[in-house]
Amino acid sequence: MTKRISSKTGLVFFPAFDWAISPTHPEREERLLYTRDQIFEEGILDNSKIREYKTRLAEEKDIQRVHFCVPDISAQTTMAHFISAGSTLKLADAFMAGEIKNGFAIVRPPGHHAMRVVHGNRGFCNINNEAILVEYLRKKYGFRKIAIVDTDVHHGDGTQNIFYHDPDVLFISLHQDGRTLYPGTGFTDEAGGPGAYLKNINIPLLPGTGDEGLFKVWEEIIKPVLSEFKPELIINSAGQDNHFTDPLANMLVTAQGYAKLTEELKPDLAVLEGGYAIETALPYVNLGILLALAGEDYSWVKEPQKQSKVLKQSADVNKYVDKIVKYWYKELSQKPPSKEELYGSTGIYSDERYIYYDTDSINEKQHELAYFCPDCPGIYQVLSQSNKSYGQNYKIDGITIPIFACPVCQKKAYDLWETEKEKGKSDIYYLQDKVKDSYLTVGYCSKKTK
Amino acid sequence: MYIGIDIGGTFTDGVIISKDQIVASVKVPTYEDISNSIETALIEVLSGIEPNKIKQVTLSTTLITNIIAQDKLKKAGLLLIPGPGANPNNFKFPCEYKILSGAVDYRGRVIEDLDMAEVKDACKYFAAQNINCLAVACKFSQRNGSLEEKIVTFIKNNYPEIKVLASNEVSGLLNWIRRANGAFYTITTGEACNEFDKKIKSTLNKVGLNCPVFVLKADSGTLPLEMSLRYPLETIFSGPSASTLGALACTEENITSVVVDIGGTTTDISLILKGKPLIAEKGAYINSFPVPVRALAVSSSALGGDTPILIDNGRIEFGERQGSALCLGGSTLTVTDILVYLGYSDIAASSDVKEEVENYAKQLGLEPKKFSYSILDLFINKIENKLEEMFRLWEEEPAYRIWQVLSSKKERPRSLICLGGPAKGLGEYWSNKKGWEVVIPSYAHVANAIGAALARTTIKFDFFADTERMSYTTSIGGLQGVLKEPLKNTEDAYRYALEIYNGIAQKWHVDKNISLETLYEEGFNVVRGWQTVGKIFQIGIQTEPGIRRFLKGEKAND
Repeated sequence: MTKRISSKTGLVFFPAFDWAISPTHPEREERLLYTRDQIFEEGILDNSKIREYKTRLAEEKDIQRVHFCVPDISAQTTMAHFISAGSTLKLADAFMAGEIKNGFAIVRPPGHHAMRVVHGNRGFCNINNEAILVEYLRKKYGFRKIAIVDTDVHHGDGTQNIFYHDPDVLFISLHQDGRTLYPGTGFTDEAGGPGAYLKNINIPLLPGTGDEGLFKVWEEIIKPVLSEFKPELIINSAGQDNHFTDPLANMLVTAQGYAKLTEELKPDLAVLEGGYAIETALPYVNLGILLALAGEDYSWVKEPQKQSKVLKQSADVNKYVDKIVKYWYKELSQKPPSKEELYGSTGIYSDERYIYYDTDSINEKQHELAYFCPDCPGIYQVLSQSNKSYGQNYKIDGITIPIFACPVCQKKAYDLWETEKEKGKSDIYYLQDKVKDSYLTVGYCSKKTK
Repeated sequence: MYIGIDIGGTFTDGVIISKDQIVASVKVPTYEDISNSIETALIEVLSGIEPNKIKQVTLSTTLITNIIAQDKLKKAGLLLIPGPGANPNNFKFPCEYKILSGAVDYRGRVIEDLDMAEVKDACKYFAAQNINCLAVACKFSQRNGSLEEKIVTFIKNNYPEIKVLASNEVSGLLNWIRRANGAFYTITTGEACNEFDKKIKSTLNKVGLNCPVFVLKADSGTLPLEMSLRYPLETIFSGPSASTLGALACTEENITSVVVDIGGTTTDISLILKGKPLIAEKGAYINSFPVPVRALAVSSSALGGDTPILIDNGRIEFGERQGSALCLGGSTLTVTDILVYLGYSDIAASSDVKEEVENYAKQLGLEPKKFSYSILDLFINKIENKLEEMFRLWEEEPAYRIWQVLSSKKERPRSLICLGGPAKGLGEYWSNKKGWEVVIPSYAHVANAIGAALARTTIKFDFFADTERMSYTTSIGGLQGVLKEPLKNTEDAYRYALEIYNGIAQKWHVDKNISLETLYEEGFNVVRGWQTVGKIFQIGIQTEPGIRRFLKGEKAND
């Protein structure tokens, strides 16, 4: 890949002024209104270092490359989702054309809670914008190693789920401890499947963690992990609810903290995720991140509330930060067990669990299987059954051929698909062939012919 | 009958239009004092016509452009109240500035008060520099102008000799840097505008006209002369408006067309999409400083009839203008000479340039005709690239709503309207080669004055209301205030906005027959906790840009 050098920062701003989950839901039209006001009023869009792009629609295939939408894509998405996901792809194309050195998609709806199987909306998300971006970059531009750093206050459980068995995607999530906040996951022992062990790094933090703790985990955990992994590209899930004014979480991070972290992390592409302090945080944090990406001075970006609130971390928080830093230091300095050892004698990783969809009140029962292959990341299979209080329930069976699968696994996956269909235990069968970029669905008759 | 006057660099043109006919047109030299040119043009164009039959005079002036180009701006200082955000020291401002404490936020709440000691010091500093114009700009002053007003009052009370202007009086646009620059240019050109206004009024008296006078704006609309004193920047860059409207006059409704204005040195392209001139997404710049002025999208290239032809490493290139064409006594071979050689222009005989064209062609080992055609092809390619870039920019204008993203922007032109000296020949060639319909209006020599005469008054009006704070703001400078009633829904807000709009429309003499276009109308629930505590409404309406009527018998003469 040869790239022209550009000094510009790309921006796609899509506030979706005509889309909401419901009129008073946090994910409503008003969410980016004040961010619009602040960014436009600053006059920085006249700055030649920032180039604003028009958003575009993602294609169905971009979504199929990541998700098993149940029963189909149209049931799980609105036009706003296609546009929000498409915004990240627009920046990817501009980045690869050498028009920009980095980019920021200030878009909604968000996506990082959307998992591979989608029965409904979880944590305000239906489809995963960053995962769609990663798979697009790999398919269209041949990237291999990509890192996603999730700085939203909520654990990026959707992104974790999608790349849990992918050794080429490093996922790092820092968030408020799952014992105190939705979605209740993101503990350190969720460290990646046997084929991608330690490629999933969770950094749960106590409520009350501020800029100080943020920089400590950046310096002591994230930075070394990134430098060890050597990603070809870094994506930031730029949620903004670690902010000290966020109404849904309890952290103490400031706009300066977010901007400085952006400056240090130097993400190639950043995508807005959560953040629901729409007046007190978003206008300032979005501006801070944008200025930091553009290499402009962000030191004047200060929330008016800051002076009136004590933002110092407590001793307990400091102690906890030290503890997690020590934990990851120890884990990462040991030689990890081999892939063979982790898979064990069966060569199959198997995990059964329940997943709750808060927005849509759905209980999903899931059985995940990952198959060992000495030569490639191996086949992945998921059996999933939804349980809704109203509406149709589906049992699905999805098989994934990873993008870097070996020919043996590719064939094995098609054989497995045939066997599964013959067994006939599910309503819908999916085969996600990321090598051929071909996505098959059998069983459910979509009302809309594609 | 309507009079249009266009003041150009060399000539001032005047026309009188009655219904769909041109009844008189004149061309007089442009004098240093442009009001003299206007007077001469008016006297000449009115010869034999009863002045009381004239309903309106519209001027496309270069007044502001000249003041700025000749560096005749008054000395000024800027008082800036940035509040939190980007570092203001990283922006370039057109004059010296002082940064003051104080801040207003996006909702118009004062989040930090002024420090009057700082204000005093800054004023003292500027007064000591003998600066007699000050502009005050505060971030979000369109949402709450109180900090700006406090400073304005302080200056008026303590420095009566200093003229002062608040940025919220200039524009309500969301972009405080543009408002600050706008306030600077408005206050520094104010005196000249007043003088001009007085002179025009006495000129009209002299020639016996007592009809309203309008001034053409950069966005192809007009505004009354008296309003141009308040918003003088609106009248800058009216040249492209005049030529685009002039070109539009020879078309029919809903046409999508390209206007190519080819002069000696430059070529300007503008677009007409479904009968409306395309307005640039971002506002205008003065001397590279962004200002809150809407302007037509115009793409200029340094290419024209006098562009010399160079041969560089065996390739044809275009150079910078040296002088006039060879056939008109110049010293180098130019694009005009090629048109003459090929018979696309009759300003000289083909034989006048034959020898030189053959010399050039020989250097490249080309047959002279082939050489000549490749020059025209290169010229057209360059213009076409610019055109494509314009369309791309238009298609790529950011969209913030789903319906805007989905509305397709695939319009492509099917005709070309050519203005300017070399346009005829190039247009003819273009038409032969590309199969486009090429229109060369017979009145091309006074197209700009016709554009001015046919222009109509337009307003783009953005209304923003916050019912929790019971305040509203608009995009028009100085127009903000307290909501007199609680707006419950978007219909309420639209009605309220329309009432304010109608007030302005009356002041601006907007023709009641022009249809109003709703650009957007939306309501936002302001929810705090799980309570809806108010609503924010945004309404955008405008009078559609365009011309008063089309001219008869001007269609298609290719």
